[in-house]
Amino acid sequence: MGWLIDLIPLDYSDAVVVLAAMLLGITAGAVGVLAVLRQRSLVGDALSHAALPGVCIAFLVTGAKDATTLLAGAALAGLVGALLMVGIERTGRIRPDAAIGVVLASFFSLGIVLLTYIASTDNSNQAGLEKYLFGQAAGLLERDVAVMGVLALVALTLVAVGFRALKTTLFDPAFAGAVGLPVRALEIAMTALLVIAIVIGLRMVGAILMVAMLVAPAVAARQFAGRLALVIPLAGAIGAAVGVSGALLASRAEVPTGPVIVLVAVGCVVVSVLVAPRRGVLWRARRLARDRRRILAEGVLVDLETAIHAGPPLTAAELALASARPARALRRALRDLDRAGMLDRDGERLYLSRPGAAAAHAVLERRELWAAWLEHGPALGVPDAREPDPTDLRASLGDEYADRLHALMRAAERSP
Amino acid sequence: MTLNDDLTIILTAGLVATAAGLLGPFLVLRRIALMSDAVSHAVLPGIVLVYLLLGTRAPLPVIVGAAVFAIICVLAIEALRSTGLVKSDAAIALVFPALFALGVLGVTQYASGVHLDLDSTIYGEIAFAPFQTVTIGGFEIARSIILLGAVALANLALVTLLWKEYKATTFDPEFSRTIGISPALLSRLLLIAVAITAVTAFESVGAILVVTMLIVPAAAAYLLTDRLWAMVVVTVAVGWVSALGGHAAATAVDASIAGAMGLVAAICFALALVASPRYGLLARAVQRRRRRRDLRTALAAGR
Repeated sequence: MGWLIDLIPLDYSDAVVVLAAMLLGITAGAVGVLAVLRQRSLVGDALSHAALPGVCIAFLVTGAKDATTLLAGAALAGLVGALLMVGIERTGRIRPDAAIGVVLASFFSLGIVLLTYIASTDNSNQAGLEKYLFGQAAGLLERDVAVMGVLALVALTLVAVGFRALKTTLFDPAFAGAVGLPVRALEIAMTALLVIAIVIGLRMVGAILMVAMLVAPAVAARQFAGRLALVIPLAGAIGAAVGVSGALLASRAEVPTGPVIVLVAVGCVVVSVLVAPRRGVLWRARRLARDRRRILAEGVLVDLETAIHAGPPLTAAELALASARPARALRRALRDLDRAGMLDRDGERLYLSRPGAAAAHAVLERRELWAAWLEHGPALGVPDAREPDPTDLRASLGDEYADRLHALMRAAERSP
Repeated sequence: MTLNDDLTIILTAGLVATAAGLLGPFLVLRRIALMSDAVSHAVLPGIVLVYLLLGTRAPLPVIVGAAVFAIICVLAIEALRSTGLVKSDAAIALVFPALFALGVLGVTQYASGVHLDLDSTIYGEIAFAPFQTVTIGGFEIARSIILLGAVALANLALVTLLWKEYKATTFDPEFSRTIGISPALLSRLLLIAVAITAVTAFESVGAILVVTMLIVPAAAAYLLTDRLWAMVVVTVAVGWVSALGGHAAATAVDASIAGAMGLVAAICFALALVASPRYGLLARAVQRRRRRRDLRTALAAGR
């Protein structure tokens, strides 16, 4: 582990913190995906609260205050909490959320009782247990980081080795059971992986805030990737970045590490929910606005084209009356069409230019083709059962089928 | 004339149990038990902000500040969920740590040492409840009793006045929507009541006991009864038992009173889980056994 710390171009204590935060981020991110996708995010909350009495009991039993012993206690308590949660749920009467709440509150109460009991026994060793509430990166030892590294390696190896089985269990437990996978054992294994991540993070982030470290990288990564094989490594990377930047920021500002890391992580989620390509809120809003604008412009094009056949060219005011579109929308559509060179003007009167007329015909042809598809689609016998794209039927069906659709339509027009 | 210190502590905890117990059953039945956890953590930045802006810890501004952040918490969770990109459990798990983290940073940066220390907000110092007193009509009484009594009464009023509405929205949200009762509105009202209860109880008993009193007694009561009013009564009763038992246990081993009360509540839940006459583990084992035996005799008779 020493050479790794030497590799990082920071002074020794910062390098230790960076390494620890990175290990935490990678593990919590990768493992958290398994909880988030099963919609069991808050199990992480209950488990990290459950770790607190484990830390206290380990201290009471061994009298040691080195992180490794205390974290072993945390892991045991976390596992007990996990099993209790499953047990309470399985009785059938208590729903998952109440089971999570009961385990969380009970274990944390026990932790508080033990914490205050230890404080009241006036053991000079006891200072430091409170770090496990809110997390404190400062004072981490190289040896602790080495233990974290081993745990992280174990967790990541388990995820990698069991990837196929975990994936099947995540997305289709019934199928997983049918092909002979031990579904129940796999679900417990996923919870145990969560416990490993919590044990790594308890010292850095603290029991109360640890859940965000499990959930945030997973949610952020999910916005950018649609395949589990991509989401898990991406979540690990995001977690590592968040952990390192948060821990460094906190140690510079000399504030508890947990809150800073959590705020950075949640900030990451907000940004990714807003801007993620294709899924993000802003991205979707922009696409919606663009589609609306395009459809409006096409509608006005068609209005103008049909108006030509009905009488003399319209003025903008007449068009507004005839089409019953809001004045502002119409002005905007005309501006768009002008910019695209599709309009000619004769004083007040509006004409379609040559490209404008071509575009209007294309729109009309598309609409006609769609109507034909709705009417005669089944008669085509397209081998692909997917619903084609209504905005561009010709491209999604292919020219051959589009021409046949036309033929069918003409035939239907001829024979009433 | 004054109240005895022990009595004050027990009364304070009992009033928390009453205030929380009136709301808890609805949270458990609506499956939003964990929203109470989220909301009671999320009020911390409200308390800190009021302290920073107004320099006061007077109950009224603090309650208003906390209620504002409770609403922010609920709205933020709903906003995240409504994008369709984040499931509701993940939204809860993101919003409340963020708000709580803000509060923790605020406390450690600006308000440390001035009464607002973090430990007491988390696990509370109910032992200090007797020291802050007000005098009403020559009778010196702890401030926490007055405040929590008021909150308990307000919760009682909320639950009794809107009993029918809450019952309908809890058990059949679709039906209540069709007869013009909005489940979302009532849910929000419930969570605001949770937030006000949480923040009033915060300084006297700490966040964790509030969460415990909101969830654990109600979950225990749910194992014991099928009727809503009975569930509320049992919940409050379990809360009082926890308050009494926890106080006794804590004085015996000299540990956090709030923590011990939570622990007694957990023990009550465990007892209900094992020994409930209808839904307990024992009762179920007996039922299964009897059913198996009946089946066997029926098979033997048929042969």
